[in-house]
Amino acid sequence: MDDSTLQAYEDEIQSLEEEIKLLAEKYEDSQQESIFFSDEEILMAMKSSQGNFEGQSEGRESLSDLKAQLESLEMDLSFLMKFTGIQFTSHSKNTVERTTNRTVQKHRLSGHCYSLSFQLEFQLLEVQNKENVSAVVTDLGIILESGEDSDVSKFVSSTEEHGNLLTFFRSLLSYAEWYEHRRCTFLHFK
Amino acid sequence: RVVPAGMEPGQGALAPAGEQQGMMEDGKVHSASGLFAYLEMLEAQAHEAAVKQEEIEQQEEKLAMLKKKVQELRLQRDELRAKVDLQGKGQLGKEGVMSEPAQPSSQAVLEWKIKSVKAMLQIFYLTGISGKLTKRGVCFCISTAYEGTYLDSYYLDLLIKPEVQIYRHSIPVFIPLEQIAKKYLQTDIRRFLSVLSDHLNAYVGRRFQADRLQEQFPEQIEGPLQRNSLCNLLVFKYYVSSKSKTFSLTARLLYGDLCHSLPTEAIVSCTPDAPASLAETAAAHSDLFRRMALHKAFRSFSTAPES
Repeated sequence: MDDSTLQAYEDEIQSLEEEIKLLAEKYEDSQQESIFFSDEEILMAMKSSQGNFEGQSEGRESLSDLKAQLESLEMDLSFLMKFTGIQFTSHSKNTVERTTNRTVQKHRLSGHCYSLSFQLEFQLLEVQNKENVSAVVTDLGIILESGEDSDVSKFVSSTEEHGNLLTFFRSLLSYAEWYEHRRCTFLHFK
Repeated sequence: RVVPAGMEPGQGALAPAGEQQGMMEDGKVHSASGLFAYLEMLEAQAHEAAVKQEEIEQQEEKLAMLKKKVQELRLQRDELRAKVDLQGKGQLGKEGVMSEPAQPSSQAVLEWKIKSVKAMLQIFYLTGISGKLTKRGVCFCISTAYEGTYLDSYYLDLLIKPEVQIYRHSIPVFIPLEQIAKKYLQTDIRRFLSVLSDHLNAYVGRRFQADRLQEQFPEQIEGPLQRNSLCNLLVFKYYVSSKSKTFSLTARLLYGDLCHSLPTEAIVSCTPDAPASLAETAAAHSDLFRRMALHKAFRSFSTAPES
């Protein structure tokens, strides 16, 4: 009789710990997705020395660590944008579902590649397997400038139908380069 | 042996029934040793009882601790639930958590921005080329996908001085990395990554189709699906039914273009005793395999009405 009570307590502890983890993640997601800080506010925070000498709140990194981390991440991001030619101008995401193994997020993305702008919307389903996390894109919606070109619209609808986000980006660059070249050529002849 | 005076066999006052049977068996009782053994037995019993008592106490202590922990966790969970509910009702404004002051701390602002930039870097993963700057160069990550499903990612750690070179990588050996590097690495890194990405995505796409075929049509495939590591040569036997008879076809798919995931050559053959109509089916299938993804081709003729 003792053993079963013990087991019942241990089971409840495990399920409570899982629930707490999930709730904490849900809370973090909502926090992250509902607030927004402008560039000026970010700049001010970077210049601030608040908290450098005070004791840190438990579990949070020091202000200088955070500044260093942000700088390194922004350098990586700016490098990638320059290198790939894909400039993202805005990104928002919304966590639609979060369970122990699955996360579904809705993303809205806009940016441009050379002079070609695009807007994307898609749902990303991530499932935690034993060894890795698998990701699947669904409900892909693409708005591409110069979509009047019939070949482009065919490409866009076929890409949307199969959720081919990767192919879209890989083709975007070559198309944008060609488009830019054509644009410059036309300008030259005007 | 010393037998204390006055203790004659059979007269031992300390001879309780049951446990002392050993002592009485042969009719002889060496009462002193009997007494000693009895005392030993009592001691053992007392020790056992003490151990049991300790176990019970430990068990109760453990149970009490667990009960306390459950109550603490329940409280924590309820608090979080309340917080999340408030969020849902839009009680939290721009400043964030209600309990924090109206002016968010620099820490909170930076933490938010860091998460935001990390999310943006994850988006780059979805574009196919992402990476991180390293002390001596860049570590690129090439991601692959087949339609909407993201598959393996491959790493290339590049050094940029004195010239661009590959320091480490996780590209499989059957991908012609050296060939591609020789052609493009020094002159056009973007082109190099793009061509490599074409090879990797095509390989992963071919593998994906073969895997789906095995997974989705196990009863239709006869025997094992033969393929090489590059997945550009596939040979398999499969069943088709015609007029309620089952026939076996053999397919040999060759993917001549390593940057594509459709075969350049699809030979479908039947056994010599097969009817003429089957040859037509084989030709139709061969055409289908060259135009359509393998698992989708199977899906299309598995559901189509049989001729």
